[in-house]
Amino acid sequence: MRQFKNSTIACSVAASMLLASQGVSAAGELNIYNWGDYTSPELITKFEQAYDVKVTITDYDSNDTALAKVKAGGHGFDIAVPSANYMPIWINDGLLLKTRPDQMSNFKNVMDEWTNPDWDPGRHYTAPWLWGSVGMVVNTDVYSGDINTSAIFLEPPEELVGKINVAPEMGDIMGMTLYYVGSEPCTSDKAALRRARDLLVAAKPKWSSMGYSIKEQFAAGDMAASVYWNGDAMRTRMETPSVAYGYPKEGFVLWMDSVVVLKDAKNVENAKLFQNFVMDPENAAMLSNFAMYANAIDGSAPFMLDILATAPEVQIPAEHIGNGRFIEMCSPEINELYTAIWTELMK
Amino acid sequence: MAIKLFSKDPQGNLSERFNVEYVPSFPTIAIVCMLLLYAPMAPLIFYSFNDSTLLSVWHGFSWQWYVAAWNNSQVQEVTLRSLTVAFQAALFSTILATMAALGTTRVKKYKGQSVIYAVINQPLMVPEVVTAVALLILFAAIKTATGYQGSAYLVLAHTAFCIPFAYLPIRARLEGMNLSLESAAEDLYASPWRVFRRVTFPLLLPGIMAGAMLAFVISLDDVVITEFVKTPGKDTLPTYMLGQLRRELTPEINAISSALFAVSVILVGLMFLISNKKQR
Repeated sequence: MRQFKNSTIACSVAASMLLASQGVSAAGELNIYNWGDYTSPELITKFEQAYDVKVTITDYDSNDTALAKVKAGGHGFDIAVPSANYMPIWINDGLLLKTRPDQMSNFKNVMDEWTNPDWDPGRHYTAPWLWGSVGMVVNTDVYSGDINTSAIFLEPPEELVGKINVAPEMGDIMGMTLYYVGSEPCTSDKAALRRARDLLVAAKPKWSSMGYSIKEQFAAGDMAASVYWNGDAMRTRMETPSVAYGYPKEGFVLWMDSVVVLKDAKNVENAKLFQNFVMDPENAAMLSNFAMYANAIDGSAPFMLDILATAPEVQIPAEHIGNGRFIEMCSPEINELYTAIWTELMK
Repeated sequence: MAIKLFSKDPQGNLSERFNVEYVPSFPTIAIVCMLLLYAPMAPLIFYSFNDSTLLSVWHGFSWQWYVAAWNNSQVQEVTLRSLTVAFQAALFSTILATMAALGTTRVKKYKGQSVIYAVINQPLMVPEVVTAVALLILFAAIKTATGYQGSAYLVLAHTAFCIPFAYLPIRARLEGMNLSLESAAEDLYASPWRVFRRVTFPLLLPGIMAGAMLAFVISLDDVVITEFVKTPGKDTLPTYMLGQLRRELTPEINAISSALFAVSVILVGLMFLISNKKQR
């Protein structure tokens, strides 16, 4: 009994010390550098109130801009949210602080498949933010065949010819084409690259555009298929109910953005608190509800909007999940070949 | 201004002399230019009244996107910042440009004057992204040394690239102004400052206003340099809009753009009325 009492006292003392120390270290500021229109204001208010921190958000519009500014130094940011394919650069260039999110209290909530990504083994630097995929958006009124294949844009069925859009993203499109011809992204196999090139060049006359923004054109009936992101696919379906989203069985592309703490951060403790904060189920759901993409946190579904929790574009059906892969940045030599093919395609 | 083909001679008779003010097909060219400049904005403004989340499929009339933009605290914040930065940049760059214009026109010709023109107009020649990267590196060093992260960087950068835009109309005005009035004032023992204050400046004012307005609009418009130079929490309206592009665009962007367009039309219209009144 006595022993029990002692240990309770010890525990409560330790807990109060921990709370006190957290309270002290957290009062202050946090500067978040994130993609535009991507940070839930509700989540920020909750964080500010919980830890007595003034949060400032600044937008960037591309991974390259963010990387350039942080590399130049003196940026004044504590946190950034880079994409997975850029993460090895951030880590290898020594831009990040090894904050060990894997040892934080909320890490237990991270879904198993997201605890050990290739681009940050063991998650020593990154806490998951949101993720999604690139797949086939197809109007099933126009084409009722199998949409879970990259043939939709590489060897289009008759019904879709002249009504296809392809997002002008070199890495994603080259990756999916290489999967389709039975190879791997960034392969040095010249024969496979040539097959990919021939397929793309032959398919291009059957496309109508290579651009962004698809919702309007699907609604107007000018577009019947597109290689595009899952979040936009869902929004397109809300306007045009006959639109469905296909996961190519040959292989489709996954993306994920993650929260990192910058090496020259001024508010390291608050930044760490934020990393832990976004791995809480209720908070992760706030991120999803605002940006309309999936998070990587177990138990967040009950807090998510119904349309998100049930959307087949957001929740990848089990039979397709194994076909999704992350694409890394290719070596400079391969990138040169990519660019040559891409330039030919854009002509 | 009415364009007359024939002018009346002092006796009131129609003379068939050729009017030198008339340039054939000028009205046609003017109309084509106006169309090319303003027609692309018509659909933007039209769809800002769209009662739908779609950018280019018409559903019906509504003010909802103007209301949404007005109530969006982030839009308010970045718009206010854009206007503040543009005002300061216009003010500073116009002062500098006026001094530069005086120093390159109201002095004896000297060696290297053309080099100075080139240096002043450098931001017009160098691609914007080069200036942006240069400023990024320079400011990074200053930020690391001083720790200062305020909006002075934006004002400085904007002032720098606005100078030639303010300089050109001011210099053009100075070159068109007859020196005899200034010489007369000097002959009457006016001090150089008094000459400037009472003669040069009032005559130059329309040029200065034109330069300041141009600088204001150029600063308001800038994306590339701002994106690289901005410090935490210092988004301007254009960089905010750029951030929206990656995700879903709604007619709210149309509403913001249309409102901005209306503001600049009103501004330019007012300036035109004021300067027109003064000339009479």
